[in-house]
Amino acid sequence: MRRVPTITAPRVVACTIAGLLILAATAVVDVAAQSNKKPGPETFNAKASVGSEAGRGDAFVTIRIDEWTSEKNIATMEKALKDGGSAAFVTELRRAPVAGHFEAAQQSFSIRWARQRETKTGRVISVVVDKPVYFVGAGVPGAKSKEGYDVAVIQLVMDSSGVGEGTMAAAARVKPGGPDGVEIDAYETAPVKLLSVMKLIK
Amino acid sequence: MRALTALLVAIPVFVAGSQSYKNTAPESFKANGQISGARGGAASSIDIAVDKYTPDAEHEVLVKALQQGYEPFLEALRKQPQIGSVKLGPNSYPVRWARERPTDKDHRRVAVMTDKPVFFAGAGAVDAKPTAGFDVALVEFTVDTVGLGTGSMAPAAKVKAGGSTGIEVQDYSGKLIELRTVIRNLK
Repeated sequence: MRRVPTITAPRVVACTIAGLLILAATAVVDVAAQSNKKPGPETFNAKASVGSEAGRGDAFVTIRIDEWTSEKNIATMEKALKDGGSAAFVTELRRAPVAGHFEAAQQSFSIRWARQRETKTGRVISVVVDKPVYFVGAGVPGAKSKEGYDVAVIQLVMDSSGVGEGTMAAAARVKPGGPDGVEIDAYETAPVKLLSVMKLIK
Repeated sequence: MRALTALLVAIPVFVAGSQSYKNTAPESFKANGQISGARGGAASSIDIAVDKYTPDAEHEVLVKALQQGYEPFLEALRKQPQIGSVKLGPNSYPVRWARERPTDKDHRRVAVMTDKPVFFAGAGAVDAKPTAGFDVALVEFTVDTVGLGTGSMAPAAKVKAGGSTGIEVQDYSGKLIELRTVIRNLK
């Protein structure tokens, strides 16, 4: 069964994403190991779309991956999450080398976790940005505090031709817990979908 | 750094003289709001209901309060009775000031003000500025005799006396929401 990050829930609560930080691990079908067969840099363009009862917003985003995060660094961050929780994870994440950039609305954010796993039909790419990208819903008067939502998490499901779709927790808190050991608590109440994801052809 | 520059927008209808237009309230409107930037945009449906328009006497009270400053104006506005609502998604905000006036024989301009902000556009940005001080929302549109029109909305604004029209409106985002279509609902 393929599992992808779903940012759902009434009022921003934890969205358990099976192994999001082991990220693609849960989304893979049968190829278990991290694949680095397709080295960076790679660039993906997408339309981020979010909708709720109050309206709909769209933005064009770019995800540029210069290199995949090493297994050693992944293990360090996973251990930090397991042993020290969200804060320790964020600390280790920000110590990790920059793996790429996420760009939206003329702003650029550092990606410090980039991983891909092959699937039968393509690959699943998971990315963690070292800061939140946007607090969807924060414009509503009385919106909840932004505190603690220190990263952004993105997952792309790509086919072999370089086309796909994805999801994004634009401001998220990564927590240990849940059946798979990792929970993503997204600030936004409605899921941010990444539509028309396309790998930029060099 | 993302610029959140303030924009001063004159809303001429506010200080318009007495209401000479045939009173059409109660009435309601549905508007499609859009705001866009370099790499994205948002759209929303907004419902505006006006139970009655603010009479001249109460309007004058607000004008005088505004001339005394923003805080006296807010205080006076919040003392006004609720005369309508602006609804965005599941949330409804009381309208405490509403005026209309003809712009020509086939059109009229309608303006309403809520006593609370409706939405802080851009407040989700990581480097967003504080929202304090933007305490009202202002919707302004022109409709024809059929009930179709366009307009704009300052969803979180502060107002002050001044400018050529007597009032200046500063929206939190620095950019107004465009009301691309406004439709008067059939009764």
